[in-house]
Amino acid sequence: MTTDNLFYLTITEAAAGLRRKDFSPVELTKACLARIEAIDGKLHSFITLTAELALRQAEQAEKELHSGNDRGPLHGIPIALKDLYMTKGIRTTCHSAVLENWTPDHDATTVTKLQEVGTILLGKLGMHEFAFGGPSIDAPFPAVRNPWNTAHIPGGSSSGPGAALAAGLCYGALGSDTGGSIRTPSSHCAVVGIKPTYGRVSRFGVVPLSWSLDHAGPMARSVEDCAILLQTIAGYDAKDPASTNLAVPDFRAVLRDGIKGLRVGVPRAHWFDENKGTDPETEAVFDNALKTLESLGAVIVKIDGKAFSIARKANQTILVCEAYAYHEKTLQATPMKFGSSVRRRMLEGAFLSAADYITALRARSVLNDQICANFTRVDVFAVPGAARPPEAFEGMDPNEQNLRPNFTNPFNLTGLPAISVPCGFTSGNLPVGLQIVAQPFEEATCFRVAYAYEQATEWHKKMPPL
Amino acid sequence: MAGKMTLDDLSRSAARAGLELPEDELQKLLPGVNRALRQAAELRQLIADGTEPASAFSARKNKV
Repeated sequence: MTTDNLFYLTITEAAAGLRRKDFSPVELTKACLARIEAIDGKLHSFITLTAELALRQAEQAEKELHSGNDRGPLHGIPIALKDLYMTKGIRTTCHSAVLENWTPDHDATTVTKLQEVGTILLGKLGMHEFAFGGPSIDAPFPAVRNPWNTAHIPGGSSSGPGAALAAGLCYGALGSDTGGSIRTPSSHCAVVGIKPTYGRVSRFGVVPLSWSLDHAGPMARSVEDCAILLQTIAGYDAKDPASTNLAVPDFRAVLRDGIKGLRVGVPRAHWFDENKGTDPETEAVFDNALKTLESLGAVIVKIDGKAFSIARKANQTILVCEAYAYHEKTLQATPMKFGSSVRRRMLEGAFLSAADYITALRARSVLNDQICANFTRVDVFAVPGAARPPEAFEGMDPNEQNLRPNFTNPFNLTGLPAISVPCGFTSGNLPVGLQIVAQPFEEATCFRVAYAYEQATEWHKKMPPL
Repeated sequence: MAGKMTLDDLSRSAARAGLELPEDELQKLLPGVNRALRQAAELRQLIADGTEPASAFSARKNKV
């Protein structure tokens, strides 16, 4: 293998190649840096590149692996972080003028965990400003573009991770998800992303958007890679008040167990046709994915989507109230420092009452019960990763997302683990994702179903025309 | 707070919240605020009297 075609390896393949000495961590890192230099000018996926640090870490990983000090499958693997993960001594901007030159004095717990297993940090990735609103067209850094078609959005808010992975600029990344921000860019960029159960991964050192809805999680180019990354970052952390003290299972142990007899609930009625409805091409691709699951032995079960549909209202109400509360002082002092998209969404929270917020939390209780009651009949839910393909930047309607079903935020409201895996393309060659949602703390089930689907199809092998 | 806000309502509420926003910004904000208020009002129809809010508070964490 030559070192100029390393960038589309999976983590699993790269880890095997490192141990066979086909290439070294330094060569892997240099391949990524060269690719970033060559093509990121049209994608803008990186805000801050940490090339010197990456090469130092790569040299250290190389020495350690040569001497037999093997820290596991992520040792010597170049990764990148959405730019809301705090990194000690490295600028953390949240893609905002508000934090344009902020350098944290500590690392997020997840960042520390990734360092401990010997990953190499390539840099910090673009995002929707403060993980909210739409693409940041008036922020100090350019909006990230979709590698499958740079005239289109990559989805957000973890837009940088989605684009960088699809373009072969890094092997794994961390995103965050408050209403779909890992799963939407995963779907729009044809990569894999999992929002773990609320409490599974520490959010300490991840700049908050909405405390009760925020989740941290990994993105990668394969299901197994996501499982490897989640294995590393999952686990109890006393520094995160929402962290759950539960043992973390071996996510890869059941990957190959298949899905024969698995009951897959599809909440189509009263949801997929909400307002403008699901894009017909997207729904057709999704239906084909269901047929593949059936061919693998799964049983498709129709369930009602009404509660899923209403969940958006509770999710958005809670989100804007909590986001406004977090940013209140800055919004009062310097509102125009925020980009227009994020500012207008956050300010909605200033005009909702305490009773509105508590009402949304009470509705959350009701909707949690209604949605999770379906687990007496099914093992997982399946829905598209997004209701339509990624929009073009030109003529983008900021209200469009409110006019179609939101397939992601019910699972922030319920805290359920949800994974998006590539499941096809539209006639315009834009990606579509399949989302699989499991019971709380059953990420292993998400991985098992997604892996079975991935291995039965070829979608994950397609590369964007860059 | 339920019901539809006017631009004047929004301007007064913004001042009470300590927000100094130009009028054109308030105008752009108004549709989103009214949508948010409408959504919050719709959620009230879901709730029975005994429903408690989903809350993260735990007294166990106060034990030293």
